[in-house]
Amino acid sequence: MSAKQKTYQRQGVFFVFCIFSVLLLLLFTRVLFIMGAKAEEYGVLATKLHQRERAIKAERGKIYDRGGELLAGNRSVSTISVIHSQVEHPEQVIRFLSNTLQIDEKEIRKKVEKVSSREKIKSNVEKNISDQIRDENLAGVMVDEDYKRQYKYDRLGSKVLGFTGGDNQGIIGLEVSYDKYLQGLDGAILTMTTARGTEIENGAEDRVEPVPGWDLTTSLDLKIMEYATQTAELVAKKKSAKSVQIIIMNPQNGEIYAMVDWPEFNLNDPFQLPKGAENLPEKKQMDALNAKWRNLCVSDTYEPGSTFKILTMAAALEKKVVKMTDRFNCPGFRAVEDRKIRCHKTTGHGSQTFLEGVMNSCNPVFIDVGARVGVSGMFEMLDQFGALEKTGVDLPGEAGTIMHKKSNVEAVELATISFGQSFQLTPLRLLASASAIINGGNSVVPHVGVSAASGDGKIIKKFDYPSKSGVVTKETSDLAREALGKVVSDGTGKNAGAKGFSVGAKTGTSEKLPRGNAKYISSCIGFAPVEDPQVIAMVRIDEPQGMYYGGSVAAPVVGTLYENVLPYLLE
Amino acid sequence: MQKSKREQNPESQFDIGLLMITLCLVGFGLLMIYSSSSYTAQVNEGDSLFFLKKQLFGVIVGLVLMLIVSSVHYKLYIKVIPHTKIRLILIIYGVAVFLQTAVLFVGVEKNGARRWLDIAGQSLQPSEVTKIAVILMVAYCIQKNPKIMNTFRGIFLVMLPVALLLFLVVIENLSSAIVIAGIAIGMCFISAKQRTKYFVIFAVIIGLVLLYINFGAAFRSERIDIWRDVETHPKGFQILQGLYAIASGGVFGVGLGESMQKLAFIPESHNDMIFAIICEELGMVGAGIVILMFGLLIWRIFKISMTAPDLFSGMICSGVMIHIAVQVIINIAVVTNSIPSTGIPLPFISYGGTSVAILLAELGLVLGISTKRRAG
Repeated sequence: MSAKQKTYQRQGVFFVFCIFSVLLLLLFTRVLFIMGAKAEEYGVLATKLHQRERAIKAERGKIYDRGGELLAGNRSVSTISVIHSQVEHPEQVIRFLSNTLQIDEKEIRKKVEKVSSREKIKSNVEKNISDQIRDENLAGVMVDEDYKRQYKYDRLGSKVLGFTGGDNQGIIGLEVSYDKYLQGLDGAILTMTTARGTEIENGAEDRVEPVPGWDLTTSLDLKIMEYATQTAELVAKKKSAKSVQIIIMNPQNGEIYAMVDWPEFNLNDPFQLPKGAENLPEKKQMDALNAKWRNLCVSDTYEPGSTFKILTMAAALEKKVVKMTDRFNCPGFRAVEDRKIRCHKTTGHGSQTFLEGVMNSCNPVFIDVGARVGVSGMFEMLDQFGALEKTGVDLPGEAGTIMHKKSNVEAVELATISFGQSFQLTPLRLLASASAIINGGNSVVPHVGVSAASGDGKIIKKFDYPSKSGVVTKETSDLAREALGKVVSDGTGKNAGAKGFSVGAKTGTSEKLPRGNAKYISSCIGFAPVEDPQVIAMVRIDEPQGMYYGGSVAAPVVGTLYENVLPYLLE
Repeated sequence: MQKSKREQNPESQFDIGLLMITLCLVGFGLLMIYSSSSYTAQVNEGDSLFFLKKQLFGVIVGLVLMLIVSSVHYKLYIKVIPHTKIRLILIIYGVAVFLQTAVLFVGVEKNGARRWLDIAGQSLQPSEVTKIAVILMVAYCIQKNPKIMNTFRGIFLVMLPVALLLFLVVIENLSSAIVIAGIAIGMCFISAKQRTKYFVIFAVIIGLVLLYINFGAAFRSERIDIWRDVETHPKGFQILQGLYAIASGGVFGVGLGESMQKLAFIPESHNDMIFAIICEELGMVGAGIVILMFGLLIWRIFKISMTAPDLFSGMICSGVMIHIAVQVIINIAVVTNSIPSTGIPLPFISYGGTSVAILLAELGLVLGISTKRRAG
């Protein structure tokens, strides 16, 4: 017979039971605490874990020219995919997709029969075809809207506009600099998924509508762009040049009407390799593409040669170290310290005024004038013209000026700087500084972007570019314009003249480094009208064959451009 | 041993309420196992009923055991078997030792632990058998000489047979060892007249645990780091997923079968983490009802223990009560990250055939005792 239970043992059981009850109650409180106080924090984390986003692409902002002509738009395309678990009649799906998309049945069968959450059949499917597929309403076949960037004028302004990659991201040009305005906000379809990523059927679907990107209005002018491109191509072919750059700009505010860097490439097929690059290793292929996309107007520096004399002249006038009527002598060279620097006219220009020196583009005259300005005077003025820093253009990849260190500049260096040699800057930098000199002394930031507007046109953002006055005095500006006008009417820039308009210009010829290879760059900067410049243009021809003097190769291009553009522009 | 009707306690009848609560929990467990495992079962086994079927087998075996055990008089276990000098309790103890030894050598390894024996295609977890053996063994030792429970020597003598089993269990299964130790110590505590010694022992243990948690940074196990930093610890994934599940429950839950977390976010959600799925699908109300059901279950067993006919049967009931309560408390505490993680199933509800079968057999013991009660 077993012993009886004692009272103290009953108390023990009771005590233990009470402890357990209290613990259970505490745990229940803990559960309530997690469900209540932590619900939001953990709930958000859990939802994040469960929801799978399917992006709805936002339409990228369009790009327009100054008159509202469309330059870059979008085409509606679709991505077709199949969801294995939702396909009901695989054979029907395979046959239908194969017929409509013109893809081999075998290939589609492989994708339809593959056990995966989602298999992409084809992207960039044209709208009329995707509509057919959607109308067929086959279970398990998904049609997702997408956009493909489309450039209306294939090659026009390719290096300025730029293009986008597959993920709606700008790769070069304006598409990069205005990416944040153009991109818009992708929307999303939020679906619930399991930890393995399969979408749950009938799971709650949330839809967040996409916000289209903002449209960009540029200062580009379609007509001028087209004409400048044709002209560049014509010259390039005639002179068998390596490349031709034409920039046409408003010198008063820096709005770029046209920027051409021939050869241009097809924006709708930017990844097509240049001829001969197909067999290169992948890295070399990428280099070839980058070279093809490079905008030399902005990204490459060169020795400006005589076109730079505009700046030397302005510096000397501003420093009041020379008058237009001061006389100089040119024996065909000038000895500077131990160096003999030659004039392009080896027989010499003889005795001439400063104005005649400008008209003749005489090197000894500019060497003398440069010496009068002095090293610190020259650097001070170049700084004031902005010539030593970037223009701040709204295009990516701008190169900076490569100039001597001021402390290293002696008489010889100062002499060569005075006529545009021994340092490098970009064509756009030179054009912007020249603009400030001829427009009365207001600095300009060259730019393409003018304003951006939300898709519905409700919000408009105008882009501001800083300008400071007093780069040169009005007097200097007037004198410089007048002298440059004379260069066209009676000097080396005769060919830049346009019938019925007063044009001012300065030409330039520079031998490429290393010297002695007979490779030249001929260039010309011209503006019109001389009295009140409304347009400034730069033509730069890289390695022309045969005749290479700026006055005979580049100046006529400026002339033709103005004959065709000025009537349209000054109307 | 038949008593006349007059001597019988009005309560001395089969406790139908306890049976109902148990059956409710078992039925609810099957439902939740189906709900929480069907996705994993479909993905991994190709049959959404895979785990439900296996559990159902355990439940049926358990119900048969319960029926047999409840109709056998509890004193049978301490009877000397005729023609031998061996009591049945020793044979049960021997079987437990044998199974625990066998599992160390021929056990089947799952998730890196050798805890299961494969018998005729069915897996058996010996540590569950050990739990019932320990309850009977300790109850037997205590009733043999209740007075020595006041001394350290007495505690030592009772714990000696338990220690052998504990040693065999702890090698592969720390969590079961904790439960077994809890049962044995709890039963000793209840039976002792002077409990000061026990409180000293408990105080020392709690003190050591606190010291270990707060200052043992150099040598404490990773589990404690996970417990303290569940949201940032890289291995806190499973517990954190459980907390997500509980947090998404709200008042009424997301609805039966609608859990998101069981879709492979919580690995093996039908096992130790099943309470998290209950919270997610049935909310505060469901979790409250489940905890209440366990409370009621423990209360019914407590009542039977209080009115048990003798010390042996009272200790058996106490042991069963401790067993169930300790597992419920540790399981829910782990799921709610109230204590460091350890793998203990929720009685009757978590997946595990041996566990549910043995628990039902233990309930059979208690139900059998309930029919023998007499006035206190």
